[in-house]
Amino acid sequence: MAETTSAVSKEEALKKRSTMALVRSLLPVAGLIIVFIIFNTLTKGRMLGKLSMAMSSVYVTMIASTGVFFVMTMGGLDFSQGSILGMASIVVCLVSKTSIPLAIVAGIATGAAIGAINGFFYVNRKIKSFIVTICTMFLFRGIIKYLTSNAPVQGSAKLIMLNTDRLKVICTLVVVCIGFIAFTFTRFGINLKAIGAGEKAAKFAGIRTDRMKFLVYVLAGAITGFAAFINSIKVGSVTASGGNQVETQILIALVLGGMPISGGAKSRFTNIIIGSLLYVVLASGLNMVGLSTQTQQLIQGVVFLVFVAVFADRESLSVIK
Amino acid sequence: MSEVRLQVQNLCKSFGITKAVQNVSFNINKGEVHALIGENGSGKSTLTNMLTGIYSIDSGHFILDGKEIHPKNQVEANNEGVSIIVQELGTLSGLTVAENIFLGHEARFVKFGIKNTGAMNREAQKLLDQYGFGRIRASAMVDEYNFEDRKLVEIVKATYFQPKIVVIDETTTALSQEGREELYKQMNRIRSEGNTIIFISHDLPEVLRMSDTITCLRDGVYIDTVKSSEIDEEGLKKLMVGREVTGDYYRPDYGEPVSNEVVLSVQNVTVPGQIENVSFELHKGEILGFGGLSESGMHEVGKACFGASFDRTGTVKLYDGTSINSIPQAISHSMAYTSKDRDNESVVMNQSIGDNICLPSLGSLTSIPGILSGAKMKEFARKYAAEMSVKMVDTDQFVSDLSGGNKQKVVLARWIGKDSDILVLDSPTRGIDIKVKQDIYQLMDRMRKSGKSIIMISEELMELIGMCDRILIMKDGKINGELLRSPELDENSLIAKMV
Repeated sequence: MAETTSAVSKEEALKKRSTMALVRSLLPVAGLIIVFIIFNTLTKGRMLGKLSMAMSSVYVTMIASTGVFFVMTMGGLDFSQGSILGMASIVVCLVSKTSIPLAIVAGIATGAAIGAINGFFYVNRKIKSFIVTICTMFLFRGIIKYLTSNAPVQGSAKLIMLNTDRLKVICTLVVVCIGFIAFTFTRFGINLKAIGAGEKAAKFAGIRTDRMKFLVYVLAGAITGFAAFINSIKVGSVTASGGNQVETQILIALVLGGMPISGGAKSRFTNIIIGSLLYVVLASGLNMVGLSTQTQQLIQGVVFLVFVAVFADRESLSVIK
Repeated sequence: MSEVRLQVQNLCKSFGITKAVQNVSFNINKGEVHALIGENGSGKSTLTNMLTGIYSIDSGHFILDGKEIHPKNQVEANNEGVSIIVQELGTLSGLTVAENIFLGHEARFVKFGIKNTGAMNREAQKLLDQYGFGRIRASAMVDEYNFEDRKLVEIVKATYFQPKIVVIDETTTALSQEGREELYKQMNRIRSEGNTIIFISHDLPEVLRMSDTITCLRDGVYIDTVKSSEIDEEGLKKLMVGREVTGDYYRPDYGEPVSNEVVLSVQNVTVPGQIENVSFELHKGEILGFGGLSESGMHEVGKACFGASFDRTGTVKLYDGTSINSIPQAISHSMAYTSKDRDNESVVMNQSIGDNICLPSLGSLTSIPGILSGAKMKEFARKYAAEMSVKMVDTDQFVSDLSGGNKQKVVLARWIGKDSDILVLDSPTRGIDIKVKQDIYQLMDRMRKSGKSIIMISEELMELIGMCDRILIMKDGKINGELLRSPELDENSLIAKMV
């Protein structure tokens, strides 16, 4: 409204909004601590004792979330992550019989290739990202089932020997750190946020939006392809359900971490870390308490819904691409 | 003539603690065009939105023909005899023209629960023909028509039932000259039928020409009501701003020679369906204007120069022969562009002011190569936001919070920060109030003097005449005439080339 009279009220409104923002930014951290304490009390400290077991499932989620985080910041979605993880794991297992380093590269290449398919249809054919990635999810899920129909694809024995916490922690840290630096301290992050917050305007400010969108899908695929290596050393073989529902786990993790579902400038890198931890604590906690799978899924659904309701930026929801 | 139609009595409306309208009282007569003027945020639209049931009234009264009204929505307002034509698109996509015209009043075509679409279409077509808009088909989807024609549909929608009061809220800024003429014709008709128009416009010459009485609001407070025959443009500006508008509005100089040095050469540029074989040269320190009807292709010329057109042929070359074929290329060669569609194409709405200003300059805001420096970004954003005097709390604030004028300042700050030499400004003052307009004109004048070249595309003929060294008029996608800067140049000589 009028610039002179409104100065006060605008400040008021901003203050109100910043309190809301503070609540939003603290909720995931507070949630993590509360959930952790609750489950430790319920399991009488068993969870703390089995922390490393609980943590063993966090690595894959956290690495894969990094790529999806970029995709979501840009305003897109990616439902094909589970299938990418499954496909790449199969490739890692097969190639591991020849050479482990080659297996890592092959896994990343597989992921990048599937990401490129997503990117091509999303950017060049202009199909909404969630439709494209749901299609590729089914497509590659079908291929995984076909490849594993007789027996699980076994990895080389050398793979499982690599299964140490140290290696997994280091790999996760490296991915997360590189992601953090790229997102926070380079043009990459600001450009991504700009595309998520207003693609057309971003284009007119000189960002090569189409190239960027394509490359981010390739990158997300490649990162998950690397996560497939971590996944393979953990399980050693891939069954028909390999990587199943990982896409939802990632989505839930990011939203639990405070990620706005429509992306944009409010995306924070900490969303990945806190979100993955919160998800893993929640999932393994529910498991340890001894709830049935059905009840666990029910509770996860409710929690997910509550977080989406809190974090959805209603003004920009229409921009999910 | 001077019979009172509407009494506005002690009207108040607050949003939170912002008093948008404070204790406003005045009368509006029968058979007059009553203009409401005031800067952005002075409360004009809030007032008319209360009258038409879009907002609720906090306190105060509207007395229409001696009877108090407080409509709760637009349909109720229509039934009381009040209608509105809004600033942006007021027709609903996905409905036919006829359905839009009779929206909320379908009952008259319903018998036994079944809508008689045929009768509705016939009735709507009859109305369209009466208005002289016979080329619009009542049974067609409204989506098939462009912005202008949809506005015409809205005019029919708002006036066919002979309302006692029609509110026209800044509709003309969105219309081309042709559309405006249509609107003026309808305004005169409504007035001659003894009904009343409340006319909101930023365009003061238009206000003076079209209205009988003018009421001015400032910061939600009633200032004065004057006869338009007894005041001039300067007087109106003074009423709106509350002080004399000092200094020149447009640039004052005439007859200054323009350098011969060509900085941008556009040859045979064609964009299918938009522009055809457009060629021109831009000189150093020149302000080159593009005028024409909204659909003349002039807006596409700006995009084509900036490498943003799809499917462009022909060449856009800089003085050194570099071809400009993409946006990143244009930016790296010191070109800048502000779009007519400010919210979608100029500012990244849901991002901070700081990031918006820094976007094209990120490459230079690094500490170690490739690694951005937060401190440098902040300093850069603050410096140029301050230079453009953007009204804000902090550069972290989101652009979506800002008013139209301030958003435009953010875009200009971005390009000043980038120190661009060639600026393509499409409708730089669209929907912006006088004070900010003057700021932008003065900025353009300073840039021109420092040797920067500007292409200014505008639907406002007065600003083209006031600011440009040379004006190219577009018609049907082609350049249809060239006019040089001169104090004798008037709107009519431009319009003659436009239509």
